[in-house]
Amino acid sequence: MQKLLFAGVVWLLSCGGLLAQSTGTRLSGTVRTDNGEPLPGANVVLKNQTKGASTDANGQFTIDARTGDELVISAIGYQTTQVKVGAKTTLDIFLGESASQLNEVVVVGYGTQDRKNLVGSVSQVNADEIKNRPVASFDQQLQGRAVGVQVAANTGVPGDGIFFRIRGTTSINASNDPLYVVDGVFVNNQSLQKITTQGQSNNPLADINPADIESISILKDAEATAIYGARAANGVVLITTKRGSYNSKTKVQLNTSVGQAWAPKLWDLVTGAEHATIINEAWINDGKPAATRPFRPVSEGGRGLPEEQQTYDRLNDIFRTGTLQNYDLSVSGGTKQTRFYLGGGYTSQQATLRTNDFSRASFKLNLDQDITDKIRIGTSNIFSQSNRTNARVGDGPQGGILQAALHTPTYLPKFNTDGTYAKWAGFDNLDVLINNTDMHSTSTRYIGNIYGEYDITSGLKFRSSWSIDYNDYNEYEYWNTLTNRGSASKGLATSSISKNTIWINEQTLSYRKTFGNRHNFGALVGNTFQGNVATQTLAQGTNFPSDAFKQIASASVTTSSSTSNRYNLVSFFGRVDYNFDKKYFFETSLRADASSKFAVGHRWGYFPSAGVAWQLKQENFLRDVSFLSDLKVRASVGWTGNQNGIDNYASRGLWGGGYNYQDNPGTVPVQLANPELKWETTRQTNVGLNVGLFNNRIGLEVNAYSKYTYDLLLQVPLAQSSGFASIYQNNGEISNRGLEFAINSQNINKAGFQWNTSFNIAGNVNRVEKLSIPVDASYATERMAQGYAFHSFYVYKQLYVDPKTGNAVYEDVNKDGQITVADKQFYGSALPKFFGGLNNTFSYKGFDLSVFFNFSSGSKVFNNNRFFLESGGTRDDRRAINKNQLNRWQKEGDITDVPRVTTIGNNYNLSPTSRFVEDGSFLRLNSLVFGYSIPKSALRKLGIASARVYYSGSNLWLLNNYQGPDPEVNVTGNPTTQGYDLGTPPQPRTAQFGLNLTF
Amino acid sequence: MKKNLRLLPFILLLTGCQSFLDVQPELQVDESQAITNGSTAEAAVNGLYNRLGSDSYYGSNFPAISYLSGGDIQWTGSQSDPQQITARKLTADNGYVGSAWSAIYKTILQANYLLETVPTLSDPQLTADRKNQIQGEAYALRALSYFDLARGWGGVQLILKATHTPSDNTGITRSSLDDTYAQVLKDLTAAEPLLGNTTNRNKVTRKTVWALRARYHLYRKEWEQAETYASKLIDDAASYKLTKPYNAFFANNAVATTESVFEIAYTNSFKNGHYNWWLPPALSGRREWAPNDKLVTLLNDPTVGGNRSELIAKTVPPGNLWYGKLYYRTPLGTDPAYVIRIAELYLIRAEARAQLGKTTTALADLNAVRDRAGVALSQASTKETLLLAIENERQVEFPFETDRWFNLIRTGRVAAVLGITDVNKYVLPIPNSEILADKALTQNPGY
Repeated sequence: MQKLLFAGVVWLLSCGGLLAQSTGTRLSGTVRTDNGEPLPGANVVLKNQTKGASTDANGQFTIDARTGDELVISAIGYQTTQVKVGAKTTLDIFLGESASQLNEVVVVGYGTQDRKNLVGSVSQVNADEIKNRPVASFDQQLQGRAVGVQVAANTGVPGDGIFFRIRGTTSINASNDPLYVVDGVFVNNQSLQKITTQGQSNNPLADINPADIESISILKDAEATAIYGARAANGVVLITTKRGSYNSKTKVQLNTSVGQAWAPKLWDLVTGAEHATIINEAWINDGKPAATRPFRPVSEGGRGLPEEQQTYDRLNDIFRTGTLQNYDLSVSGGTKQTRFYLGGGYTSQQATLRTNDFSRASFKLNLDQDITDKIRIGTSNIFSQSNRTNARVGDGPQGGILQAALHTPTYLPKFNTDGTYAKWAGFDNLDVLINNTDMHSTSTRYIGNIYGEYDITSGLKFRSSWSIDYNDYNEYEYWNTLTNRGSASKGLATSSISKNTIWINEQTLSYRKTFGNRHNFGALVGNTFQGNVATQTLAQGTNFPSDAFKQIASASVTTSSSTSNRYNLVSFFGRVDYNFDKKYFFETSLRADASSKFAVGHRWGYFPSAGVAWQLKQENFLRDVSFLSDLKVRASVGWTGNQNGIDNYASRGLWGGGYNYQDNPGTVPVQLANPELKWETTRQTNVGLNVGLFNNRIGLEVNAYSKYTYDLLLQVPLAQSSGFASIYQNNGEISNRGLEFAINSQNINKAGFQWNTSFNIAGNVNRVEKLSIPVDASYATERMAQGYAFHSFYVYKQLYVDPKTGNAVYEDVNKDGQITVADKQFYGSALPKFFGGLNNTFSYKGFDLSVFFNFSSGSKVFNNNRFFLESGGTRDDRRAINKNQLNRWQKEGDITDVPRVTTIGNNYNLSPTSRFVEDGSFLRLNSLVFGYSIPKSALRKLGIASARVYYSGSNLWLLNNYQGPDPEVNVTGNPTTQGYDLGTPPQPRTAQFGLNLTF
Repeated sequence: MKKNLRLLPFILLLTGCQSFLDVQPELQVDESQAITNGSTAEAAVNGLYNRLGSDSYYGSNFPAISYLSGGDIQWTGSQSDPQQITARKLTADNGYVGSAWSAIYKTILQANYLLETVPTLSDPQLTADRKNQIQGEAYALRALSYFDLARGWGGVQLILKATHTPSDNTGITRSSLDDTYAQVLKDLTAAEPLLGNTTNRNKVTRKTVWALRARYHLYRKEWEQAETYASKLIDDAASYKLTKPYNAFFANNAVATTESVFEIAYTNSFKNGHYNWWLPPALSGRREWAPNDKLVTLLNDPTVGGNRSELIAKTVPPGNLWYGKLYYRTPLGTDPAYVIRIAELYLIRAEARAQLGKTTTALADLNAVRDRAGVALSQASTKETLLLAIENERQVEFPFETDRWFNLIRTGRVAAVLGITDVNKYVLPIPNSEILADKALTQNPGY
């Protein structure tokens, strides 16, 4: 089929010249939007004739016509307009926006494209649709909104890391994150955080104020992404920020909201008496004498009888109702030559978990200036400062605030008998942590570029730009003498300053021309130079004069260090697109990238792509099928690369310093050389279908794709007898196959009442096709191995609890009569089988309502909290016990999956077991917004153009089978681990009231 | 001007593309620049001690495997790895065992690098004596590494050349236990003449080699040699003597006392985390494990522990938690790692002498240790009672050091004392990841 299409296109190319014709007087003109912006790609055709033209990048067109002819001007996303040709030979035409979503202009790599003309697979989301969810970053707001894009928050702490995958997971040790491009700037999304918050990390994309974003375009198939070549194996997210409009009145917009966030559900722990009963029971079950059971009368030297134990609730001490506030003010407008957008925003979000706050202040300036008809310059700027107060949340006892609350046994008091703070089981005293945790960070971010454009001739444009993404991440922690970390050291402080700079210089030369009315041709060539520099300075001090001194300058013992890391990239790229009469589309691109991470000889990678599309609706045989308004089939294939995420010097044999002895410098070998290391490559094929029905009131898009990643950049485990743990090699292959389905429907579209529905669902099947050796994830509960999906859990499978003995029976896979590591098996994956979203929006007169659900199905979660909280008495006074432990086997005949409590044998000594692998599927009422727009007539007197008040709630309802508070969890930012719940704060439920004002 | 600007990238491309893509690391150096002269060789020697003293090896992990296995320490934390070790329910994916294995082989790699490169260096700053000294240290620490592998895992793969490419040192099968011990002796023998006859408690000298040989011969039941080599240290009373009271070798931030034959030194730029596992939360630790009731009773018994009761302490009520305080320097992390102390050499010689029938001198050696601890002198007079007394003495003399478990395995007493009868459990499992990564490597039976 693909070949046939290709042959067809070639045929059309070869004989296209025959169709060109030309007569009459020459008309020229500019097509602009209502805002006065030039509209590129608009169609200008003579009514009832085949002749036509389309506008160039400046909205300009020329066409031969006779007086009395009628011009039909149309553009996707705009209302079609007709103009009679009179005496004037220069026309200024304005097009109003049309309501249909299907007619939008889509941002693609190095340009824009009408959705109708798309060959590749691209999802575009308008920022307005998603902005109501009060989360810190736009990537989280995309959850459920774009088909095939899996978004999961790691924690309920605002500004924390997000799991974001476009069409599956392609790599083990290189990055799986997409390339993020903000107004042409490749931005960093890797956390710079160095001071641990125990398994959590900040999300650098939270530095960008979502309110400044106009639209987000997600490039998914190779046809769309390959122009970004080596950066694009995981898809590309293009963020376009708001700009002013030429020839428009200055517009002032104020958006503000305030609200609250709270935790809808927490963990269920046992009472003190129940805890004691379990421990005594384990003691007896161990065969130890009842006389010395731990919970026996104090008079006998015990801890008191079970029924004498108090219950101390700590969870309610650390969860709170957090306040949310958000203020955005923008001023935009333009003259004939200038347009500007000026924005300022402040947002503050308290986490439901105490001592975690996020706030961000940001400025935005976008400016474009026409110097002459042919030369334009402009700039885009984002400047922001994000402040976080942090806590140690997840893994590890010291200073761990959630662990101290969740895992301290409930019978243990908060204070010692002498009134001092009691500390238990390696944890800090919770009151101490709540009142003394002092961890904070400031991220200062500048993302900006300057560009110049020069129209060399009609249709031929040169553009050059310089871009910078600069991030300074400044962290500080101070642990005073009340905390475990600071008590013995008389105060402990760490300061870390990380700086990351990406600079890019880019040139593009683009050409767009229509030949003979129907041969639409475009071409692009370009190059980029990119430099990345990351440095860190770290200082630590201990032994402070008193708790009042918090800066390292006052410490008597100090250490410090600095590191530096850099890599450079050089790229060349080109693209040609052609369509005949908007009927037959062909596009091809090639990018060549060279990375300093590889040795000479393996630096360059070449990434081609090609795509075809056929707009069947334009064919004569479908012209008269009136219910069908759009029918397009698409196919593409292409190759993209990856080198992100691997060490900058991964191909070299290295010795490291800092391995000192007696304060003399020491060195050791740290890495074996692999000069053969080269690009990881993903081949992707995509077929797609777009259908528009009933004048595009129903739009449907279906895509099927197959991604195959080979030459994986893998840290291949070595036999450690070599003295090395691993070596970077191109080893392994991973496939992702999936289906995506999205539908948009205007169910009711009457004056006064509208109801729209959009629904998307995507399924992805991930499989490690080839791997010479299994690789364990950072938490060894997960393993990557040939034949299994990524993030597969690898555990001992508990078959049942023997009703006779109460002992857990595990599957003896190799049937050798004993349970050893050889009996671990794969047990589901943290990756969902399918996921998506359902949105319904209603508007009635001034009222609007939107109800948005998202869902995810088939993923597994390792509930490591339960591993600790259901440890059958083995952890005695060191860990709390959850309610589910009460379902333990107690007597012969009991049917349960919670084994007999004992510290002996395999019931609770084996780890990890399938007992704690749970279903992570869920359906969530992600957001609900109800608004009312005050009638304009009432506002006019006040000088207000529009005003809207609204209520917005998020995470209002959750359907799931997970035993923890929320199945959308992950303890670590490490990409090899997913779906691992250990002390993870749940997603907050929020309610907000807001006001939008335009002057 | 604009034209020039536009050409800039292309000019850059023609002239500078290659150099633009040649980005040199600043944090690390290329292997070829690692050991090139005297000073870089000295840095690599420091690296060798650093590897030996890393947290995964003597810094805390390797001693922990030994004392957690020995039946006197209870697991009081939350981690599964020490839970498995104290319960002797080890699986082949135990993280402690895995990291000890890798840390020991990293130490061996460093020694192999030095042995390979140092003889080839021509640097007037690097004298022949110094070259010998470095090689002697490398041989001795490689011997210690293989000794630890042998007593932990049994016969292992003998890697005697540095790894430069992933294919180096592959396809090597496990040597027998005897051959592994033979390599230990060979390396100790090679080290001895290369090293100076000086006293240095933090680095390897000829005297350190003698001490390691005394221990080696004891493990090999070569009693005469064990006695001979132990005597070389004990007789050097000017350099080595039992500090009194017991805690004088560690309390009050003591380092490198006359007690120590070889202890690894830690400073601000090289720390260990040993204290963290022992100290209770009130003292900034996590008390992952603690002395069990049996050991607490023994240490607090004036007729058994004597002033060795200083090894433990108890937290305030209502906690009342016993904890070990041999490693207590928080947050500095500068507690020395005690590799071999003069007390051990007394007990080695006592045992060797008892085995040789020299009961009187054996008893004197034992009582030297008891006297220092402030307990009544032993009256044991037969070989059997002496051997039992020595075993019991070791239990309270080295409860938090690398001794108890290996000692009971060595003497074949583990079944009688700890009730562990499955002989497969007398060695540690080879880390499962190693079995996967190395086709030539075979697992110990029972794992």
